[in-house]
Amino acid sequence: MRWVDVKASMKEFWFEFKRQKGGLFGLVLLFLLIVTALGAPYITEPDIPKKWGQYWEGNPTTVPPVWYNYFTTKKLAPHEILTSNDLTIVSEGEDIGGGMKYYGFEFTYENNYDTPPSDIIIRNIGVKLTDLNSPAQIIITLVRPDGVKIELLNTDLREGSIYQLAKDGKVRNTVFRWASEFEDPQKIAESGETLKSTMDTMRVIFAKAQEGILTNPEALKGTYTFQVDIFTFKEGDQIDLSNTEIVLSGRTYGLMGTDYKARDLWAGLVWGTRVSLTVGVTVAVLTVLIGIFYGVTSAYLGGWKDEFMQRVNEFWASIPTLPILILLGAAFKGHVSLWTIVFLMVAFYWTGIAKVARSMALQIKEQTYVEAAIALGAGTGRIIFKHIMPQIMPYAFAAMALNVPGAVLTEASLSFLGLGDPTAVTWGQILYDAQTQSATINGYWWWVIPPGLAITLVAFTFVLIGISLDRVLNPRLKRL
Amino acid sequence: MGYGRYITIRLLNALLVLALVTLLVSVLFTKVAEEDIRSTIQEQINLKLRSNPELQRQLAADPAKLQEWYQREYNRLIHVYELDKPFWVRVVQRTKDTLTLNFGNTKSPIFGETAVSKIISKAIPRTVILFTTAQIFVIFIGLLLGVKAAQMAGSFLDRGVSIVAMVTSSIPMWWFGMISILIFSFKMGWFPSGGMTSMPPKEGVAYYLDVLYHMVLPVTTIVFVLFGGWAWTTRNIMIGTMQEDFIMAARAKGVPERKVIYGHALRASAPPIVTMTIFSLLGSIGGAIITESVFNWPGMGRLYWTALQQNETRLLMGVTFVTVALYLIAMIIADLAYGYLDPRVKVGASQQT
Repeated sequence: MRWVDVKASMKEFWFEFKRQKGGLFGLVLLFLLIVTALGAPYITEPDIPKKWGQYWEGNPTTVPPVWYNYFTTKKLAPHEILTSNDLTIVSEGEDIGGGMKYYGFEFTYENNYDTPPSDIIIRNIGVKLTDLNSPAQIIITLVRPDGVKIELLNTDLREGSIYQLAKDGKVRNTVFRWASEFEDPQKIAESGETLKSTMDTMRVIFAKAQEGILTNPEALKGTYTFQVDIFTFKEGDQIDLSNTEIVLSGRTYGLMGTDYKARDLWAGLVWGTRVSLTVGVTVAVLTVLIGIFYGVTSAYLGGWKDEFMQRVNEFWASIPTLPILILLGAAFKGHVSLWTIVFLMVAFYWTGIAKVARSMALQIKEQTYVEAAIALGAGTGRIIFKHIMPQIMPYAFAAMALNVPGAVLTEASLSFLGLGDPTAVTWGQILYDAQTQSATINGYWWWVIPPGLAITLVAFTFVLIGISLDRVLNPRLKRL
Repeated sequence: MGYGRYITIRLLNALLVLALVTLLVSVLFTKVAEEDIRSTIQEQINLKLRSNPELQRQLAADPAKLQEWYQREYNRLIHVYELDKPFWVRVVQRTKDTLTLNFGNTKSPIFGETAVSKIISKAIPRTVILFTTAQIFVIFIGLLLGVKAAQMAGSFLDRGVSIVAMVTSSIPMWWFGMISILIFSFKMGWFPSGGMTSMPPKEGVAYYLDVLYHMVLPVTTIVFVLFGGWAWTTRNIMIGTMQEDFIMAARAKGVPERKVIYGHALRASAPPIVTMTIFSLLGSIGGAIITESVFNWPGMGRLYWTALQQNETRLLMGVTFVTVALYLIAMIIADLAYGYLDPRVKVGASQQT
């Protein structure tokens, strides 16, 4: 085959393929998937695979995506992080005598939601103490839209201190004492302790001061101001507020919500594209190449060699794949690298293609031009690669596309069993976590639906392309 | 070559595969189990020492004596667990045990049993009930839709079948199971989210109704994911057959269309369809490994999951062996049926090309 012929046949092929609407749609999907896979570091962050195994500090755990609010009547607070730019600095080290200094800042929170943030975290206050035994003091006061002022916390400030208001016992006590004044005294007397231990501190802070504030808090919308006062007692003590962060832990997060390790599922979805496409395409290409090579060689050699190769093929094909893959995964104790999985799948999947390739090669072998080439003294390699292979290649492309979905589904299944590569971000693993954490029974739909849809989408893309290729290349189906 | 010889060769081939797979798996698991046993031995020695204050006092005085005692105890247990035998001897022993269905016991009871063979014999019928029911629906719906689609090639129904087949064959079955639990069990509350019976199990007729009730969701899931592919394959086989000359001849003879389709075409398409049926029926015994664990259905699939999670190597070994064996039986039956149904097929080594 000369280059001109290749070009001409490609052109002809494309002309036929263009008429396959499904195939074109598949190509568009494939393009989008490749863009997502390549662009993953830019769409999300570049270090996702490295930090995927860890707990994502500062994010809320298992919350739905932000857009969930469009579908519910109760509006949920999103995740917000305030940096020093959002803070109003009241004082930066005002000397108040006796070696004491005063620092103060304020931040406001506009609560327009029916369910307020689940926590308020104050962190990264730069503290430098001269004497570790005399810590600075921090006082956090809340001014509510209804004018009520509550001193939430009055405690020590040390280097690296982090304040999580919802989880702090002192804050809980203060808030409970304040809220009890509005609640039915009899209820407090009867079940005060239970109420206190089950109270959602943040909901009470952001609730209307009325009866039921503890049992059924109703959100009070408006502007909340948090005043933070800091006092230092030693001459050399220093406070640096320039890195201070306030995390308003959301009841919703990002585009796809978070899982039990507070990981951003959107990042996981985007990065999962890489594994899925890489595994799918690599396995498909390798299996088809090996299968065709094996089949054609077998057909060409003929005789007892062919017979022997076919028996080997049949033997290998009768080994059930998934149980063996599971066993191997278990033998490696769940530390199978992605390339091992690829290797194993290739090792088991080439047999079917080898059969088809052999039967095609047998037909081609009988063609007169091959006989002519043999008569002219062409070598084995030349006949295989020049005369037989080009005839089989179109079939190979269709087979490759049709083999991708199986590989994608198998990889996802192995990851779902907890046998995938623990260092890779894969959709199967996200679903494995969802299953082990009973996401379905808890109704965490954002954790279950998107990864499965993504797997389905990749598989579907290649099914579309594969079937269209098949229709174009297989004249019997084309007639229909 | 005669049919009898073909069967013999086919059986021998299957036995060889089974033996070799078992050997391979044994190699893996003898290796895995070795680490497991070593840590068990350590634990046992420590336990013995801790539970015996007299011994502790004796040995605490003399470190050399402690060392000696430790070594003696260790060697004794190594011998008890047969770790002193060479690796290959243990592998062969394990292969032999597995091939003779002597799987051993699990570390902790599963389904109330510790003997692996008993656990498996409890699990198989449960899987059969679930998947055979589902497969019967799949085959019925698939055949019906496939034949109709082939009859009306290019029609709305035909296109619909193709699209449904493409979409559903891209869906991981276990994921679809999770979704149906999410919707029909969690949101709607119509069906139980898993298990085979209510807890505690009911008595008498109520028990069977309860099992049926628990089967609705998994069966629907399996049927939904599989019927499209079935319909599509049936359609393709049927369309292939309908283009053959004998169909044209039948039509020319004036045979009614219904009879042409069901009498001639479907009958001629039977061999591949029957093969497909046998495969999916028998294959389902070990198949759909993950779907069962999603629905918490206590069959073979859940056993796999449990064995993996609890690191029960013997159980894993047993389940794999049974699955492989059933798969091989299915292959043989399918091959034989194919050769029996379709006289055109020259099977096995007699195939001259």
